[in-house]
Order: sequence, then structure tokens, then C-alpha cells
Amino acid sequence: MNIASIREYAKKLAEEKFCGAGDIVSFKQDGVVYATKEGAKFEDLCEDDFVEVTDKSEGEYAVLFAVYQKKKEIKALYHVHPAWVDAVSKKGVAIPAVLDDMAQIVGPTCKIAKKKDVRSILRALRGRNSCLLKGEGCVTTGRTMDEAFTCVMVLDKASKCFVAGSVLGGNKIINIFEAKLMQIVYKKKYSKINQEELQKREE
Amino acid sequence: MSWTKETEQQLRKVIKESGVKLLEENLVQGTWGNTAVRLDDNHMLVTPTGLDYIALQPEDMPIVQIDDPSVWSDGKKPTSERKIHAAVLLSRPEINATIHSHPVYCSMLASARIPLPIMSEEMQKLVGGEARVGKYGLPGTKGLKKGTVAAMEGRNACFMANHGVFCAGRDMDEAFAIIRIMEQSSYEYVKRMTLSLTGQTTYSDELLFDYFINY
Repeated sequence: MNIASIREYAKKLAEEKFCGAGDIVSFKQDGVVYATKEGAKFEDLCEDDFVEVTDKSEGEYAVLFAVYQKKKEIKALYHVHPAWVDAVSKKGVAIPAVLDDMAQIVGPTCKIAKKKDVRSILRALRGRNSCLLKGEGCVTTGRTMDEAFTCVMVLDKASKCFVAGSVLGGNKIINIFEAKLMQIVYKKKYSKINQEELQKREE
Repeated sequence: MSWTKETEQQLRKVIKESGVKLLEENLVQGTWGNTAVRLDDNHMLVTPTGLDYIALQPEDMPIVQIDDPSVWSDGKKPTSERKIHAAVLLSRPEINATIHSHPVYCSMLASARIPLPIMSEEMQKLVGGEARVGKYGLPGTKGLKKGTVAAMEGRNACFMANHGVFCAGRDMDEAFAIIRIMEQSSYEYVKRMTLSLTGQTTYSDELLFDYFINY
């Protein structure tokens, strides 16, 4: 990852107003995980705003390290608070696949981790690129900074649709089999070329 | 080939700019959207599959055969949704440009499969009536294509269930005017319904959100 890419996506997260207290932007480079320090300003990050995350790290950094260890393919992970995602997380419910782009990039549902510990988060992330943290926004992951960012965008839109559908007369949910199928096609086929090109650009 | 190289170059730029414009106007997320322009009765230029609109170059746009969208040449691999663009261009000779995307308020109605009533004279003029919801189908399937073509009958826009919106115009500028009015009208509809449910007089997204929390 180059610092310009990281700055670009962190700035985008801030510009889209996806950020809140305790947010983290992290990435993996040459097997080493780096994450923003507490209180780092996403609008204008510099190299000093990052810490190396190791198996000795504590608190949220320890969770982050465990996720990177478990999900080998991911190169970026964000913990952010898009307003509508945060709303659903506060209500404490999972988001079903109300949109096909959500099924493709997030997964067949976006589950909620009831606790902010390694076990709960890894369980909620199983087979998914993202999960909600009860009352504390969401975690999104990606093979590139761009994919993790797109995941936030899509999850934010799915949250709006889920909320609107719930209020305006009921959601029409994509069945789980079709949602899983779309996720596989997206990962193995649709996004493959773009992700490879983005990986080169971000390195 | 019944078009000139000059026309092709010009339309390649139109397609390239359409992708960037979708992003700039917040009418698409990531690479989830695609556009097409007619070259002649049986050929169209479309956006390639899964590629970043900013990085795309005019020469990346493939030429696709309208009566058999599996046949394509030049450029990069075409969008998997090309069959829908082709089917609409095939059934509607007056249409020369199409947009498929997922703007937020259109997506709200598409995901809940709620048709959009006529919200303004401009919508009536541009869309041609109520915007229907096409039958649900997996991306790239015949079911989605048939559902979209049926919902587009006599209209210049429709929703695709759990998917997004499809718009068609005589040129790309008109197609953009249609997708803008669809997003604006969808917003107005969500606003009207929310105010009616809550009994409030001023809409904000937070109002919808608060109603959801206490629902």
C-alpha cells in the first residue's frame, strides 16, 4: 500500500461523513498490519498517524490483528460509523440482502456482533466482508482499500433501503441461496480484474 | 459497419464521460452501474465489466451486437448487463442511450419493490408515466432482462427489483435527465410517505431513521 492510497480512502471516508468516535483505518503490507492511532484525523493522515499492529497489541487492535490473521485475503479493514449503518447497529438487528450489490460485496446478510471481542466479530464476519458492531457502527474489509471503501458505501445504501423498506411497507428480501451465489460470482469473476488492477495501483 | 470512425470516437467519449458523471452526481457506487449508446441498428458501445470509471479510457469500451450480445469486439470485456441494454435498444428503435444504476432513493423503492407514481409534470414528460418495478431476476439472467423490458413498455424508466433503476433516452443527455428525475421523484415519494406516517411537516432522513428505531 502506498501512503497516497491510504490518505485518499481515509479522506473519502471523512468526506462521505462515514466517520465517528473510535474509528480505525488499517491495511496490511508485506504481511505487516498498520492501523491509525486513536484520534487520527482522517481528512489529512500522515505516516506518523499509524501504528504497527502485532500479536502483542491490545484492545481493538488485538481484534483487528485477529481478523487479518483469520481472513488471509484481506488487505484493508475499516471500523467506521456511517449514520444509517450506525442506526441499524443501535437497533441491534442484522441487515438482510435487500439489494443485490449488498449480496455481492457484503454477503448474504450483514450480521451483528453483539460484543466487540474477537470471537463475536469473527463469527459475524464468517463468509462476509462486513459486520455490524452493536451500537458502534460497522467493520468492513476488502482485498484492496477501494473494495473496503465500496463495501462501506454499499452497506450504507443497504441500511437506508432496509430502514426505508421497513417503514414504507416491508422489505422484499433476496433469498439466501441466490444471495450467496451472487457473492461467489462477484468475488471469483465480476470483481477479479478490477481488484487485481487496484491492488497494483495501491501498492 | 454503418457508422464513421469519427462518430465512434465521439460516442466512446460520451460513454466514458457518462461513467464519470454517474460518480460525480452520486448516482452510482463503485463500478455498480453501466451505460450504453447505439452505434447503428445492430451495434452499441457499452461500459466494460467491473472496471473503475475514472481509470477507464474511451478505447476500453467494447462494441456489442444488439441482436446477439454475446458477440463483441474491441475494448475490454463488456458489462454482464449488456443483454438488458441490447434488449431495450432492440425493442425501442427511438432509444439511443441507456443507463442502469443504483442511486440511493431509487434503490429504496427498488429494494422494497414499490412502483413510483407520477410525482411531477416533468416526471410524466420524461418517464412517460408511473415507474413500474420489473420482475426480480439474478444479474445477467434472462429473467431480469425480460422483467426489465416488460416494465419499460411505454416508459423511459423502470425499477429492477432489489437491483436499481434502468433509464432510456434519445441520447445520453436525455437518459441523464431521466435518471435525475427518477432519483428526485423517488426522494419526493419517500419524503411524502414518511411525513404522512409520522405526522410531521418537515422531512429529513433522520425522521425516517427515528421512526425505524421506534417502530
